[in-house]
Parts: sequence; C-alpha cells; structure tokens
Amino acid sequence: MVHTLKQEDVEHDLQSSTKAKKFVLWLFVVSSTIMFGGFTSYYIVFAASKGKGHGLVLPDMFTYSTLVLVLSSICLFFAARAVRQQNISAQRSLLWVTLALGLGFGYLQVDAWSALYQTGATLVNNNAAISVIYIVSGMHLLHIFAGVCFILNSLWGSYTKVPQENAVYRIEIASIFWHFIDILWIYLYVFLLLNS
Amino acid sequence: MSTITLHDTHNNDHHDGHDHGHHKETFITKYIFSQDHKMIAKQFLITGIVMAVIAMGLSILFRLQLAWPDKSFPILETFLGKWAEGGRIKPDFYLALVTIHGTIMVFFVLTAGLSGTFSNLLIPLQLGVRDMASPFMNMLSYWLFFVACVIMMASFFIETGPASAGWTVYPPLSAIPKAISGSAMGMTLWLISMVLFVASQLMGGINYISTVLNMRTKGMDLWKMPLTIWAFFLTAILGVLSFPVLVAGVVLLIFDRSFGTSFYLSDIVMGTQVLPNEGGSPILWQHLFWFLGHPEVYIVIMPALGISSEVISVNSRKPIFGYHAMVYSLIGITVLSFIVWGHHMFVTGMNPLLGGVFMITTLIIAVPSAVKTFNYLATLWRGNIRFTPAMLCAIGMVSFFISGGLTGIFLGNASLDINLHDTYFVVAHFHLVMGSAAIFGMLAGVYHWFPKMFGRMMNAKLGYLHFWLTFICAYLVFFPLHFLGLDGVPRRYYAFTEFEFMQKWVTVNVFVTWAAIVAALAQVAFLFNFFYSIFKGKKATQNPWESNTLEWTTPVEHIHGNWPGEIPTVHRWPYDYSKPGAEEDFIPQTVPYSQTMHSNMPHDFEGNAESERIQREWDAANGIVREQH
Repeated sequence: MVHTLKQEDVEHDLQSSTKAKKFVLWLFVVSSTIMFGGFTSYYIVFAASKGKGHGLVLPDMFTYSTLVLVLSSICLFFAARAVRQQNISAQRSLLWVTLALGLGFGYLQVDAWSALYQTGATLVNNNAAISVIYIVSGMHLLHIFAGVCFILNSLWGSYTKVPQENAVYRIEIASIFWHFIDILWIYLYVFLLLNS
Repeated sequence: MSTITLHDTHNNDHHDGHDHGHHKETFITKYIFSQDHKMIAKQFLITGIVMAVIAMGLSILFRLQLAWPDKSFPILETFLGKWAEGGRIKPDFYLALVTIHGTIMVFFVLTAGLSGTFSNLLIPLQLGVRDMASPFMNMLSYWLFFVACVIMMASFFIETGPASAGWTVYPPLSAIPKAISGSAMGMTLWLISMVLFVASQLMGGINYISTVLNMRTKGMDLWKMPLTIWAFFLTAILGVLSFPVLVAGVVLLIFDRSFGTSFYLSDIVMGTQVLPNEGGSPILWQHLFWFLGHPEVYIVIMPALGISSEVISVNSRKPIFGYHAMVYSLIGITVLSFIVWGHHMFVTGMNPLLGGVFMITTLIIAVPSAVKTFNYLATLWRGNIRFTPAMLCAIGMVSFFISGGLTGIFLGNASLDINLHDTYFVVAHFHLVMGSAAIFGMLAGVYHWFPKMFGRMMNAKLGYLHFWLTFICAYLVFFPLHFLGLDGVPRRYYAFTEFEFMQKWVTVNVFVTWAAIVAALAQVAFLFNFFYSIFKGKKATQNPWESNTLEWTTPVEHIHGNWPGEIPTVHRWPYDYSKPGAEEDFIPQTVPYSQTMHSNMPHDFEGNAESERIQREWDAANGIVREQH
C-alpha cells in the first residue's frame, strides 16, 4: 500500500491538532468555571434562604495573596514574551519568579485559613457560608497545583531545549491556565467580599 | 505530550508509506492502553455491555421481590449469602439493588457506554479526522471510566453493602454514614466512583467538542455534518456544562459525610441522639444535583436521537426530513434542558410561581421533541424501507420516544405532579422515554456500525429475534407500571403489598416480572450474536448499508489514522439518497457535483453563480429541462 501525503497536509494536520489541544484547555477552563459557579450559586441560594452570609471580615492574608497572584500573572506574561523573543535566560528567571510567587500564594492561602481558624470561623461550622470559604479556596488551591505543573513543564522545556514551536506551545498552555486561575481567584475573593 | 506522537505517526506515513500506526505496537498499546479512537470506542462498548448485563441482572433480582414478596428462593441465598437470608432479599439490599441499577444504567451504560462508544467511533470517522484532538486524554477517559466501574462494583463486596439512597443520593440519607447500612462505606465508594466518572466524561466531552470544532476535513462545514455528529457534539456540550455542577455538589456532600460540615444537614435526630449539624439544607443538594441531572437525561437520549436519524435515513433510502429542523431542535433541547431542573422538585415546597415557570419551560421541550418525532415519521413515509435489525431498533426508539414522551406532559404539570410524584408512573415514564428509547438507539448503533467496528456482520435473523422479543417485552414491562402509578403505588417500596389498597397490584407485578425475565433472556440472543460475530461473523464489505457518510470510505481493516492516503474531501451533505436522476440511490459525501450533473438540483449550489452557470450550460448541451435555477 503505497501512498503519499502532501507535506502541507501533514503540517495542516499538525496545526489543527495543536489548535485543538489549546481549545481543549479552554473547554476545561469553561467547565472549571462552571464548577465554581456551582459553589457560588450554592452560597447565593443558601444566603438568600437563611438571610445571612459568612458575616466575617476576611483576613488580610487574602488581600496579600491576591496581590501575589496578580504579580505572578504579570511575571508569566513577560516570561511568555521572552519565549517568543527566544530570550532563554530571561525566560528561565521569569518562570522561576512566577513559580515562587505561585508557591507564595499557596502559603498565604494556608496562612489565611489558620487566621480564620483562630478567630473561630472553622471549616466545620453551623454556618455553611463560612465552610464555603474553605471549600472554594481549597478547590482553587488544587488548580494552583495544576498550574504549577504547567509552569514546571515550561521550565523543563527551557532546560531541555525543546524546539521553539514546542516551547511556545508549552508557555501558551501555561499562560492560559495561570491567567485563568488568577482571574478565578479574583472573582472568588470579590464574591466573598461582596456577599458577607 | 501527544503532539509528538501524532507528528511521528504522520512522518511514518510520509516516509516509508507501508507502516501505518505506531512502529512498535504491542498487545498492550493496541488492546489495552490504546490511543486509537476506534479501539477506545470498542472498549467503551464492551465495558458498557458488561455493565448493562450486570444492571439488568440486578433489576431481575428486585423484580423477584416485587412479584413474590412472601416467597422464598433458596437459590438467592446461595449466591447472595446474608443479603438474601432464607432466600428472601433483605430490605436494605433491595434498596441497594434499586440504587445501583439506576446508577449503572444512567451513567455507566447510557452515558459512557452510548456516548463513549459512538462519539469516539464516529466523530473522527464521519468528519474525516485521523484521531481525536488529544488521543492521550481519550485513553485516560476510558481508563478513568473503567476504574469508576470497578469501584462501583466493589461496593457489592464490602460488609455494609452498596449505596442505597437511590441513584439521586439525596441527603440526609446519603450524608449520614449511620443512616442506613448502605450510607456507610458503600456511599463513599459511590461518591469516589462518580467523581472519577465525571472526570472521565469531561475528558471525553472536551475532546469531542474540540475535535468537532477544529479538525473537520476539507469541505466539511458544520451544515454538512451528519446528524449523528450534531447530536454527539451537543451532547458533549451538555456534559461539559452540567457535570462540573455535580462535582460541586458531590464535593460538598463528601465534606458533610467525612468532615462534619453542614452544607445539607440540619436538625437531625438519630434515635435519641441529636446531631450537631445545623443550618444546612438538603434542598440545595437537589438543586445542584438536578442542574446536572436533567441535562443528564438529554445526554442519554440525544446520541440515540442522532443515531436514529442516520439509521432511519439510510434505511429509508431517503434524505432525512427537515435536516435543519433536526439540528435546531437538538439545539433547542440543549438550551432548554438547563432551565427545567425544577420540575423534579415540584413537591419540595417550591414557590408555586417558580413551579409555574419550570412547568412552562418543561412543556416547551415538547416542541423540539415533537419536531424530531414528526421528522422521523416523515422520513419513513413512502420510503424505500430496508428493515435491517438496526432500522427496526431505530423505529423502536421512535416508538418509545413517543409513548414515553407523552407521559412527560403529565409529569411536567406542577399540579398533576403532586399526585404522580415518586410513584410508578414516573418509573414507567423514564424507563420508556429515557431507558428503552436510549437503549434501542444504542442497539441500532451497534447493529449499524458493527461492520465498521469489527469488519464483520452481525446475524440478521438473531437480530430480528432479539429486536421483537425486547421490543414487546419492554412494553409489557413498563406499560402496566403507569396504572400502578396512577393508583398511587410509590416507587422504591420494598413491600408495598403491606398496604391493603395496593395488594391488588401483586398480580400485575407477577406479569411484569415474567415479561422482564423474558426480556432478559432475549438479550442472550444479542450477546451471542455480538460476541460470536466478532470472530465468526460474515466478512463485511466496505459499505454494507450503501451509506453516504465518510466512515464507509475507510478500509475494512482498521489502520491507525483511518485513511491510508489523503483524507477525503467533502462536497455535499450526507443525505443524498434516492436523488432523482442519479445512477444509484445513494451519492457519498465525497462525490463532487461535477460527477453528478444528471442529478444536481438548483439549491445544491447554495447560490454559487459560477456553478449554476456551468450546470445551465451542461443542461442546455444535453437537452435537459429543469426548473429555473
């Protein structure tokens, strides 16, 4: 069975498959948003039916962590630019900073939990609205973990010197996801601030 | 990631030309951890069939209890041990049987078994794609599903038995491990299994959507896609938009069960002990659950609708009636399915005004459903019908969709639902419209695409036997249940004959159970046919049903990448059957209009002036008079 495939067809297949894979990530972003939509709508219906929200002043740590996360997003943006300009050293250092800020965010979140815990607003609580704070920030932290994996993947690519195409692909995937979890956290934080 | 794999595959194709697929394909990469969508489809199908047989067996067990509540069957004790002491099924175990039967049928058979099989098989094959957007994720999707199945079945082998709170696992029953024996470890396993299942479905669904939107072959615009693909595509969208909400609900339920939170719990006294949980509301679970749960029933039925469209059109040798209407009605069902979940909750103390809103949205779904039904019937009307087993199953699907759909209009009414809620009327309704209809759609798909999957034909005579027995028995089983429901017999009762006014229904239950047993035995004809034909069936030709769609242009022998050479280009819609003037009664999608000058219609050119001019000139040269272009 002899046959030939035109080179441009092969490239076309390849392009559409990369595009399709990025699209896969976007769809994941959509479904993840909907899951958090599920949590926040639980909160809204709960608060409406009981006539009370969590009623807390949220710990300052959440503000700091939000700033850290926004900073990390900015860093990643410049890292992506460095990848496109093929500036390996800038790319590496920016990615390391992003990673450090991401981990710092995780630390601050846990810190915020312990601050909440010390004021008596525990996870096991007769006000489910307070429990929701732990649930959404915890589920978000799982997303941070996945995001860290994406950034590590990109970093690994910069050390193993993958082809430029592949490096761009890796950083694009990491960027889509990391900016998403950044925006997601801002949404959750603002939501919790507004619905106290 | 898998980009690299794909790239390599293509390079192989390009350079040495003889070697398709992976270089070193071992038994494990070919049959177990396969990334080929065709193999994954078969894995889903066979797992789905195994799960269906198990769930059917469970239903026979609880039907025995319903028909002969006072009789002892010593053989049951032999098999079930302490769950059937003295040969009688225990109440706890009865509830577990009902729960796991529902869970397996809805999720594992009709969601994963149906979508997983046919979306995987047909999306790449009918759209002209070499494989899914992410073959690796596709493989992961199957294996997560498999693990979910194993965990669900494992709950039969633990001390406290499987989950027993019904397939909807309403708290507080499901949220308090000490509530009933099934709420203990069995419920935990149920939740773990469902989380894995949802992850599997999301991976699958995301893959399907991305493949449909990004990877279609040349010429395959959205309006040239077969209705099967439209149905799978919209089903996948439903799944991606609704399953995450179930995850949200399940996460909260897990925290209530295992960490002592009060999302769904409040004011509960167990015996003499007051539980500390306060402030939650079990109604909130119902909202989260049914926001998935209702789209879920369309996730179950829409692939069956799509498969039936294709099978009915091919075997009527007629274009599908109202292609666009079929697509728009699918879209209509998709959109509406998100705003009707409240009709499961009419009797939860819902504000009557809100109930009215949900009632109206629910009844509106009758419109796209009726459009589809009439289009099926209009396609059959005066068709050149070939009664293949697949065709019979597809017609059976339409029949169940009508007879089960009609009772949906009763149940969708908030006021009628006060009487009918949680009675056998509901059981009859959804077993016809969602259970039987979807199963028949799935069977139609199996009979129709078996030659594509295994390169062999299934035996038609056994197919007819299987169809008629199953079709008749399904009606005999489910139709009488309507009358039980109208009389107020509640579902899920272990021994409703304890209530005097319901005792008269025992004779009906005996009849129903016998019908169910015959239906179950009829499946042996299918199972034998299926597994025997995989190895010993008659060899299939490339296009056994004389069908137009792209999957029949691939070689009978499977190759990784589907087409040996270039992917075919699509020139026309998939339903050019019995076109006047054509040489044969089907014109595959790959045939350009320039090769069918005799049969081209004015509207084929979609207003392309150049093509119309060429056709006019050809008509003039050949002395053919047509209506004005």
